Amino acid sequence: MSAVNFKKEQIKKISLSAMGFVFLLYVYFSFFLGPLNRSRNAMTAAMNDKQSKLNSSKDEMSKASTLEHQAKSATTRFAALKKLNSEGAPIAWFPPRIKVFFANEQIDKAVARLENSTPFKEAEMAGWMKYNWMIEIPQADYSALGKAMADLENAEPLLSITKVTIRALPEQGQFQTVDLVATNFIQKK
Amino acid sequence: MALHLNLLHEEILQQRQRQRDPLKIGVMVLIALGGVLFVYYMFNAYRTLEIKTKLSAVEREWAKVEPQVTAAQKRSAELTDIIKTTRVLDEYIENRFFWAPFLQKVSRCVAPNTQLTSIEGKVMDENKGISVSIEGVAAGREPRAAAEDLRQMLVEQLAQSYREVKIEFKGLEDLDTIVNVGGSNMAMAHYTLTVTFNPGAPTKTTAVQPPDRAPRR
Repeated sequence: MSAVNFKKEQIKKISLSAMGFVFLLYVYFSFFLGPLNRSRNAMTAAMNDKQSKLNSSKDEMSKASTLEHQAKSATTRFAALKKLNSEGAPIAWFPPRIKVFFANEQIDKAVARLENSTPFKEAEMAGWMKYNWMIEIPQADYSALGKAMADLENAEPLLSITKVTIRALPEQGQFQTVDLVATNFIQKK
Repeated sequence: MALHLNLLHEEILQQRQRQRDPLKIGVMVLIALGGVLFVYYMFNAYRTLEIKTKLSAVEREWAKVEPQVTAAQKRSAELTDIIKTTRVLDEYIENRFFWAPFLQKVSRCVAPNTQLTSIEGKVMDENKGISVSIEGVAAGREPRAAAEDLRQMLVEQLAQSYREVKIEFKGLEDLDTIVNVGGSNMAMAHYTLTVTFNPGAPTKTTAVQPPDRAPRR
């Protein structure tokens, strides 16, 4: 009988030990090893991420320096094109510039009026606008007009004449009245 | 056979029972397992610390490099934009139609017995070419022939520089007016010419051959 009691007690103790064992494992994995592993995994991921960024950064910087070298002519040209347009609102500087230009070509009273301005369709030209101007010349000699237009087209690469109307003056056949529609590409400010 | 007397039987039994106490054995096993787990934990903690040290080093390096990389990326994007924009601008610049050479060619075609009263030209959208309307008067014994001479001359001149040159009479009417040219009275005709062409340079296959021009006055 005492042997049976003893065995029961043993079983109790074994059960207690087993519970202790399970509790130990639970506490160990939940509160010690688990958080440690999670933290280590997070740090490993962060390190891999940073390391890949570091590796790609070297490529990025070498690419940038190569691009800088390759784009030298483009940047020079871009700067030159930008310089063609003055600072400020185009309505403020374009009409006086045209007036002076034609006056220098011996064509007086040239008037430029802004018709409208439209954005470009191309994504690359998001920073630029098309300004459409109506240039009215009340009186001009045909040959002087031709020379002036040639000079204008050469001096203003960002300007393109899209419409030309030349009409002989009824009283003075040697002179013409001229209307030009010109489109100028101007960078947005 | 030797007789063995065990006078400490109970004490030995108790000692054995104490040694075989499951709780004691369990505690010992737990302690041993705890020790193993502790060692394993320490091993993992060491690895974690090692990774943390490496991460700190990488972060320090990244902190040094990051401003340069950000600046390089920004500059790359800027340069790419500049290259693309310059390319598009250059395309626009190269594809412009220059009116001055056209006007010069027209002026070369106007004979003393013809006069232009109006020129209206425009660049059609989406590179569809140039469209020009020329109005004027021609004088001669056969004023219509003088106007036709002007048309042929224009075809000849424009075909030298442009493609797909088409020049047609939109209107050609005799006028009642008589004009004095070079001391002789001549009849007049009013004409309207429609000129269309493509501003690209002519190719051998598409170039319009100069027509044989016979004076028909």
